[in-house]
Amino acid sequence: MIVGTKIDAGKELTKKRKLNFFTRPKYVYIPLISGDDRNITTVVKKGDYIYKGSIVAKRKGNFRLPIHSSVSGVVIDFVEKKYIDGTLVKCVVIENDFKEKIEEKQAVRNKINNFSHEEFVSRLQECGIIGMGGFGFPTYVKYNTNKKLKTLIVNAVECEPYITADFVLIKEKCEEILEAIDAIMEINGIKECFIGVKKDTTINELFENYLGTYPKIKLVTLPNIYPIGWEKNLVKYIKNINYRTTPLEKGIVVNNISTIYAIYEALKYNKPLIERIVTFTGDMLKNPQNVYVKIGTPVKDVIEAIGGYKRNKDVVICAGGPMMGSSIADDDFVIASNLNCVLVMKKLNKEKSLECFRCGKCVSICPSKLSPVLIKDSLSKVESLTGLNADKCIECGLCSYVCPSKINIRECVKEAKTLIKKEGNGKK
Amino acid sequence: MKDFHLNIGPFKKHNNSTNKNMVHLLIALLPIILFSFYKNGIIPYNKGYINFVEMFNPLLFILIPTITSFLIEVLYALFFLKKKKDGLKKYLSSSFSIFPGLFLGLILPINTPISIVIFGAFMATFVGKLLFGGFGNNIFNPALIGRLFIISSYAVVISKNGGYLNQYELDTLSLATPLSNASLVSGIGTYETLVLPYGSLWNFFIGMIPGSLGEVSALLCIVGFIYLTITKVIKWKIPTMYILTVFLMTYMIGSINGLGIWYPLFQIFSGGLMFGAVFMATDPVTSPTTPIGQVLYGLFLGILTVVFRYLTPFPEGVLTSILTMNMMVFIIDRIGAKARFSFKKAIIPFLIAWFLIIVVSGFIGNSFKADSTVKDSNFNIISKEIIENNTNYVVTQKGYSGLLKGNIIIDNGKIVSIEIIEQNESFYQKIVDEKYIEKLVSYQKNLNNLDTVSGATVTSRALKQMIINVLNDYNGTDFKEDNNSNFQVMSSKEENGKIIYEVRQQSFGGNLDLKITFENAIIESITVIEQSDSYFNLIIDNNYIQKLIENQQRLDNVDSISGATISSDSLRKAVINTKKEYDKTYGK
Repeated sequence: MIVGTKIDAGKELTKKRKLNFFTRPKYVYIPLISGDDRNITTVVKKGDYIYKGSIVAKRKGNFRLPIHSSVSGVVIDFVEKKYIDGTLVKCVVIENDFKEKIEEKQAVRNKINNFSHEEFVSRLQECGIIGMGGFGFPTYVKYNTNKKLKTLIVNAVECEPYITADFVLIKEKCEEILEAIDAIMEINGIKECFIGVKKDTTINELFENYLGTYPKIKLVTLPNIYPIGWEKNLVKYIKNINYRTTPLEKGIVVNNISTIYAIYEALKYNKPLIERIVTFTGDMLKNPQNVYVKIGTPVKDVIEAIGGYKRNKDVVICAGGPMMGSSIADDDFVIASNLNCVLVMKKLNKEKSLECFRCGKCVSICPSKLSPVLIKDSLSKVESLTGLNADKCIECGLCSYVCPSKINIRECVKEAKTLIKKEGNGKK
Repeated sequence: MKDFHLNIGPFKKHNNSTNKNMVHLLIALLPIILFSFYKNGIIPYNKGYINFVEMFNPLLFILIPTITSFLIEVLYALFFLKKKKDGLKKYLSSSFSIFPGLFLGLILPINTPISIVIFGAFMATFVGKLLFGGFGNNIFNPALIGRLFIISSYAVVISKNGGYLNQYELDTLSLATPLSNASLVSGIGTYETLVLPYGSLWNFFIGMIPGSLGEVSALLCIVGFIYLTITKVIKWKIPTMYILTVFLMTYMIGSINGLGIWYPLFQIFSGGLMFGAVFMATDPVTSPTTPIGQVLYGLFLGILTVVFRYLTPFPEGVLTSILTMNMMVFIIDRIGAKARFSFKKAIIPFLIAWFLIIVVSGFIGNSFKADSTVKDSNFNIISKEIIENNTNYVVTQKGYSGLLKGNIIIDNGKIVSIEIIEQNESFYQKIVDEKYIEKLVSYQKNLNNLDTVSGATVTSRALKQMIINVLNDYNGTDFKEDNNSNFQVMSSKEENGKIIYEVRQQSFGGNLDLKITFENAIIESITVIEQSDSYFNLIIDNNYIQKLIENQQRLDNVDSISGATISSDSLRKAVINTKKEYDKTYGK
């Protein structure tokens, strides 16, 4: 059974609006972070001239991954900037010369499905493709396996309210996406592919138009519940399979649809992940819409360019959707490759949270089968937290969403998660 | 320039709130409150047992503990809160102070003196809730704590006051609640002894039986359950499992003893089980939060309730089992939380539960079977002397507070004297006042129709049981009620075309001798030759005899006279029996 709940979408704000482009920022601040890994070596120094798409830094450790510049221009500084989780991150500041110069032009491939498996994996790695849905997990790792891959599941659900970035992308690039899926399947010998979509006539019709050419690709309409887009839920719903840590155990790869498009660009044009679509939305923006932006662009500049805020003085700006996103102290933070939404809302009235009366709603709604109320009660005892599997929290926010006493119970579970991590590290 | 604020996500919230939940709870309770007003206020008023002002007593009875609970929290807040001015309002808006008192009012016997009710509300709020740290922190259900205090200290005062019965029931029923009645009948009981005294199972379902104010109506509890489940206020798994478990176990117990499906229904409709399961066991603060935990909680509540009902002297069991299980919530939740990841963790408690359900039901069911050969374990024959036609019994029977020792003389199959040699019952004076011993002698053929003495229910019932046991022993067979043995035709003669019967019918105070004259197959007159009923003047005051003559074609529909129910019924039966006799001899 899939646990989840129906949440009012709020997607109409941006769904019908045309995709806008903001690709000419004066400065970009390339954040030196990959996923949540801040262990990055820079390969440029102040005063270097950088081409668009050339490497400025490299991620160390297990998952080696380059970080690219999204403009051409001169490195003028290294500064600390706010990142999408609200913390400060070291960034490479590049002054844009608006020439979009590329180091070496590569021939555009006519066919993208004649890569060997090794070429494919190294191409994904070179282009720095990461999961664009949320956590920013390096995509090449998923394919870099000896295991026989059987199924590819493409996540096009976008179950979080307000966000329509994937929706717009499908509308614009449906054909390219299908071409990329077909190539991935052929290169990796994958037999079947499911595209998980919500019940939406526009999208369904679009796919149906092209799907005739690709008999192995099937469209699956998913129920409109949150968080159906969570990997575990997708695999469970589409394939009726449970797994422990990653779907790879069962020979399944799950990719976000934006990631698929990034793979397309990487294969076809050898273009690294330096641009993406971000939904700028919320009732405090004058013109909510989807914007095609460069990684490293300050959010402030984009909002200014698309018409700015409404008059209201007190607002909340949030990186990510309303459920999983985090509130940021101001609008001066940089766009990362795994940011899909910027939400600007009226300041919420501080609701006084009441005493928990143990109604158990957070328990029955939790998609990870956690018992948030019990985790909250035993925050002081790390051993019992481990017993309660607090580290399995996916931070979907449903427990806080449903709480009738308005307790921010997700924060308690997050705290428990960090406590367990600390304990685990301490033991090592 | 904008002011950016930091809020903690998620930024969309469900629109439910604790307040809304509590309002839903009140809505679900409203029909129950109104029904208790109807049953304990309006009906007795309409039948003329109480005056107009007293009609509102049930409502007051619920309102007073509610207000008490509220005031206690106000006082508590005034003394212990730091920010007094706006703190008080905030505190009260989030402490839901009325509920312990409200629930307490609904689960108390109606005849609890109001000072004791207030004491109970204080205990419920202060001990049950505030001492634990207020709303959300209590381990035990506050209302049940209040009731525990009241029952443990004032049970005697309350039962002396009339117990669970309202004025109307005191007069017409004078039986205790179904379950205390069930604990007094011999063996497991039969449909006749358990259900029929209260009418039918339908009365149990709609709630026309004696019991606490809010606990009686199974129907309204089910309506409340459905409403609260749809609005997602209560944890529906708990009452479902609880009631199903009790049903299953009592079904097994019943079927071992050859009782039908009515028996488990009788068990789940009585003793406040429905109300307890739907409203008390689901109190969110004191029940498990995990789904599997809730199922386990309901299972064990059911098992405990059955154990308490059959194997302990407390016939209700709901209160005690909920309070017991309240203590286990922490452990049950731990098991429930782990079992969400692998069900193996919960297998042992489930196995224990199933094992207990089968073993306990089997044990209880079979222990009653053994009983039926011993008959009544509370009864003992000390000596039995037979002198010619006389049999002289000395026996003991367990009473309210110790043994009742009696000397019973039977002459030619008829009890001629009953003498109680020893007793230390607290309310024995009532027995003496009501001439209950004399009644036992005169009712010896018809003991099932003899009511208990209100205020000394247990004692009088024990005395009656003693006589039944003696008669059983004397006859060597089970004593069975025979309606026709109450009626006797003394003589019949024809005079001037009229047929005159002289008949004798057993009545309240003894023999009721009548002369009934028929003319052309129509009753012309009824004359009372002899009677010894104490309330017979009511019969005369109400022109009851005249009524019987007027309605002789539909005697079954003539109502009895309240205050002299038995006398008027006997009179009517006498006439019916005579009419049958006439029809038999002379045709219609």
